[in-house]
Amino acid sequence: MVSTIQNTDVKQKDADRAVVVAVTSRAVFDCGAEDGDDVYGVGVAFPLLQALQRVNERLLEENPAESLLFDVVLITTDSQQQQQSSRIISNTRHYGLEISRFCFSSEEDFIESLLTNHVDLFLSTDRSEAAQASHKGVFSALLNRKVASSEQLRVLFCGDAVIRPDTDSPSASQDAAQSFSAQLGEMRQRFGLLHSPLSIVLVTSRGGRESCGTALRTLRSRGVSVDEAYCLAGAPRSPFLSLLRPHFLLNNDLED
Amino acid sequence: MSEIKLTKSAPTEDNGEEKDWAAAKAFFDNLKTNKPRPPKPRYAVTIAVSSRTLFNMVKERKIYQDEGLEKYVAYQMEHENEPLMPGAAFPFVQALMNVNSRLRELYPDSEELFDIVLMTNNHAQVGVRLINSINHYDLSIERFCMTGGESPIGYLKAYMTNLYLSKDSDKVTEAIAEGIAAATMFTADTENELSKTQLRVAFDGDAVLFSDESEIIVKQHGLDTFFEHEKEFENKPLAQGPLKCFLEALGKLQRKFIAKNERLNCPIRTFLVTARSAASSGARVLKTLRSWGLEIDEALFLAGAPKGPLLEKIKPHIFFDDQMFHIEGAQELGTISAHVPYGIGQKYHKGKLIEQPPKKE
Repeated sequence: MVSTIQNTDVKQKDADRAVVVAVTSRAVFDCGAEDGDDVYGVGVAFPLLQALQRVNERLLEENPAESLLFDVVLITTDSQQQQQSSRIISNTRHYGLEISRFCFSSEEDFIESLLTNHVDLFLSTDRSEAAQASHKGVFSALLNRKVASSEQLRVLFCGDAVIRPDTDSPSASQDAAQSFSAQLGEMRQRFGLLHSPLSIVLVTSRGGRESCGTALRTLRSRGVSVDEAYCLAGAPRSPFLSLLRPHFLLNNDLED
Repeated sequence: MSEIKLTKSAPTEDNGEEKDWAAAKAFFDNLKTNKPRPPKPRYAVTIAVSSRTLFNMVKERKIYQDEGLEKYVAYQMEHENEPLMPGAAFPFVQALMNVNSRLRELYPDSEELFDIVLMTNNHAQVGVRLINSINHYDLSIERFCMTGGESPIGYLKAYMTNLYLSKDSDKVTEAIAEGIAAATMFTADTENELSKTQLRVAFDGDAVLFSDESEIIVKQHGLDTFFEHEKEFENKPLAQGPLKCFLEALGKLQRKFIAKNERLNCPIRTFLVTARSAASSGARVLKTLRSWGLEIDEALFLAGAPKGPLLEKIKPHIFFDDQMFHIEGAQELGTISAHVPYGIGQKYHKGKLIEQPPKKE
């Protein structure tokens, strides 16, 4: 069973234009670490939400009538947390998070909640959860567990996947991926080269400069103008990921 | 100073790292062209060059300074299919590629090669023109960082860089402070014809290969005290300078040629070009090199004579010196020079103490 509650503190976004991002409450709040006043600790996804919020603020600064905004939906599947739905909502208010809707569902039904809410991107810290959603056609990505900035939303495209030839006809998930990328690209265009609250980063791990060049041009043709590009050609990637500190990685194999 | 990484490999290599490396190797081996694949960073001698040292971007730089970033990027994108002209580091890079070909012939399975990385602050959209230009000259550059404005220092370390060349002296100073050999490149006023078969690298001694301890004595106490001091401490090795590890890396590659009886035909040749004199202060320098187990092919003691004419004869692909006075002298006579902003020499120009402007807060 799926139930959705709107957050009345937050202005609801334009359903046609908004970029709906779903995150699990497990990733946003650290429910284990509570102190006496029912206040949760912050989870891995916290800086991400702040960064998304900052993008929205800057978008509205550029154009108060902007409708291409991030629309954040919080998914709760943990039955324990569901019983504390009011605490989730009160914690959201406490931290001033711009979450439009709260979705409560069982483990089995959570994908249904993603689909009913027209989620454009589902972010999870759980690899199998993300893989499951992806399998059903919801574009999904893994949240970076390492500390990320709350000042600038940093999205990392893995170039090796961008240029992989589509052997079969594009799957629903691939279409969703491209659609999300295009939306992100359009959002990026609202800001100048410097001081953007959103940075698009490309990393190619395996191929050489041609692979990276092709990925840059492919993304450009899809309306995504990359800010930073790193071509590793087999060099170890973890030192780079530590420096780049993306909030999430797109088009990753969901392996490694 | 930066540790040479051409030593035993680390005991634990991350599994993910090996997977990436294996996949990259497979990628390159499967390419239809004969493009050589880049070496494993752990074993390679990594040279990072900035876009402005690799290519001549003077015109574009002016657009950036006069009209701002957006116009600059737009200009680069409009001219994306026009290859850039070669810059100061270009002949050096070609010479490195030639050494690699020779190494591959003798040691087909070795990862001990030069690895050339493009390290630029440029925005990735400018990167397309840079990639097109690299393609045009078919340079062996497969790795790059286009940081879109962020400092390159962290990325230099991530690539285990042995030498960083840039036009921006602030970045170079920062790199040296972090223990990475680095120098600010200057183009020559004229162009000497350089060898296509041998990489020739010239180094100043004090404050480049060696620390600036002796230069401090000259500046503060004069030449006579300096001569006495050097004679007294002839057998005490000098401390190392910022480029010592780079000389060491070159030496390691040279020994690979010697091991295959190619000493006379070695495609790497190193020169020491120092204002010291052979008679008085030169011995300490040679003894220091010997104590480090390093060899230099030719040591030239100028006893204070200008370096320009000698360098014009040597024709190095690059000449490292800590004093702008010598850099300028070299440039005038056609030598591509690289300034190492290290040590007491930075506070002086032509022997006189430079007045430091009050520090901005």
